[in-house]
Amino acid sequence: MKRPLYHYFMIGAVVLYLFVPILATLIYSFATQWHKTILPEGLTLGWYRDLFGDVRFLEALGRSLLLSFSATALGLVVMVPTIFSIVLYAPKLEKFIQMLIVMTYAMPGVIIAVGLIRAYSGSRIPMILVTVGAYFVGILPYMYQGTRNSLRNIHAESLMEAAEMLGASRFTAFSKVIIPNILSGIIVSSLLSFSILFGEFVLVNLLAGGHFETIQTYLYQKLNTSGHIASAIVVCYFLLICVLSTIIVRVTRSKKGGGGR
Amino acid sequence: MSYVTIENINKSFNDQQVLHNLNLAFEEGEFVTLLGPSGCGKSTLLRILAGLTTPEAGIIKIDGKDVTNVKPKDRKVGMVFQSYALFPNMTVEENIAFGLKMQKMNKEVIAKKVSRMIELVELKGKEKAYPRELSGGQQQRVALARSLVTEPKVLLLDEPLSALDAQIRKNLQKLLRSLQQELNMTTVLVTHDQEEAMAVSDRIYILNAGHIAQEGKPHDIYTRPANEFVARFIGNYNVLTKKQISLLIKDESQFTHDLYAVRPEAFGSEFIMDGYKISGKVQNIMPLGNITRYEIVSGGVAVTVEHLHKSYEKLQENELKTLYINKEDVIPLT
Repeated sequence: MKRPLYHYFMIGAVVLYLFVPILATLIYSFATQWHKTILPEGLTLGWYRDLFGDVRFLEALGRSLLLSFSATALGLVVMVPTIFSIVLYAPKLEKFIQMLIVMTYAMPGVIIAVGLIRAYSGSRIPMILVTVGAYFVGILPYMYQGTRNSLRNIHAESLMEAAEMLGASRFTAFSKVIIPNILSGIIVSSLLSFSILFGEFVLVNLLAGGHFETIQTYLYQKLNTSGHIASAIVVCYFLLICVLSTIIVRVTRSKKGGGGR
Repeated sequence: MSYVTIENINKSFNDQQVLHNLNLAFEEGEFVTLLGPSGCGKSTLLRILAGLTTPEAGIIKIDGKDVTNVKPKDRKVGMVFQSYALFPNMTVEENIAFGLKMQKMNKEVIAKKVSRMIELVELKGKEKAYPRELSGGQQQRVALARSLVTEPKVLLLDEPLSALDAQIRKNLQKLLRSLQQELNMTTVLVTHDQEEAMAVSDRIYILNAGHIAQEGKPHDIYTRPANEFVARFIGNYNVLTKKQISLLIKDESQFTHDLYAVRPEAFGSEFIMDGYKISGKVQNIMPLGNITRYEIVSGGVAVTVEHLHKSYEKLQENELKTLYINKEDVIPLT
């Protein structure tokens, strides 16, 4: 079927609208000078060299990865078995989880940060651990939805019963039957949680601030000194998110297509 | 003593009692069916037998051992679910081997048992297939094999065939029965399909609202329904009040019970000595393939009549017809 011309025009306009800023940032990160001309005066890899030559950047990147990874891993290890137990064996508790989820959305980041500072600043708990704790609560919605939907899709309850009837303990049934079948669902939830935490700025900046420079706080500072380096950071960040999104799409697709077919 | 006994089982959900003091007993190697309409408690009873649901009161014994408080995994009971519940991440082979692996059997023994079972359920060539690549009937055969291979003491079947279409259901009924006989497996089937129950069982328990309505061999239950519920549930019995039957068969003195049941195929056109005679108008003729069903109306009372289709015998609406019936085929109900 031939589509009318204005379809292409509309799609083109939307794509242009979305990609021009990204493209501009990309070009700016490669530009030597770009002030008075339409196109940059020259191209260089110098900004990237400077960026990756900066130990502070690498450290910030490492911290960001570590922080997001540990919060996600903690979420995975604690939440998946918890959500499984609640959905299957204590469905009455599900409404409490749903309440918690609403609360994570209802609270603005600044208020959470101020509350956490007031509650924990006097204690001996390092603020960075408080941040991990806050992140752990923050990713609850994604972990809950992902896990619960996967459990529903595979009819986890009857699979558990079937496994138990065949002589498996609940733990064995969970690890041998349930986990492999919800794996793709929880991978997607984890990647999603990870990329959201990776881009988080408010909480970590207010709670840990200068003691714990992450990629976001580093970027914020660089914005004031060099637009080119800031652009280079954004491009790197964007690439990483692209990679994560691609993995998410791949995993979701292979799940729908039926994996090992 | 019986191989499996269920004594005084009671169960309620949300203050609603679904099983009322039930007592059942199955012999070793027997194929027993729990038959009843949906909501009669038959599946709950099966789940109690499996250990997946706990009864409020009562004792369950299997092979002389009280298993009332034994976990499902330790009961040595196999179960096949209506939804198949195959493990989607495992192949046919791996699904069937799962129970044996749980028993920590050695690999060669497992492989041997699994391949024999695959042959028994006629799934050769599908060993490496995943459940989603199989049809419903094939999936249910895998589920059956998965339970049978562990050699359970009792095999429980929870409406295993009701999600399948008629042709496949008939074939699987045959397979089920022949496997059960071959392995001499004590089997309990739950179904709402009375034809299926008749076709495969040694004995049938008919359940109604948490009570046992009748218990017996398929033939006895079909020919001698004990009460109105069974008569209406089994086949297309005509259930008639004392008044109706007296109007139909002009012989009041005979009928002392309140209700009577008459099978539609018990009527015949040949004269029966010492039988009852009914004359009336033919109405609502329905050709149903191998049988023809119609109503005969006499004295304002309509009864359903069925006989085998005969091409040379043409029935006409409103035609006057005389039919005969044996006295013992007019069954008093309690």
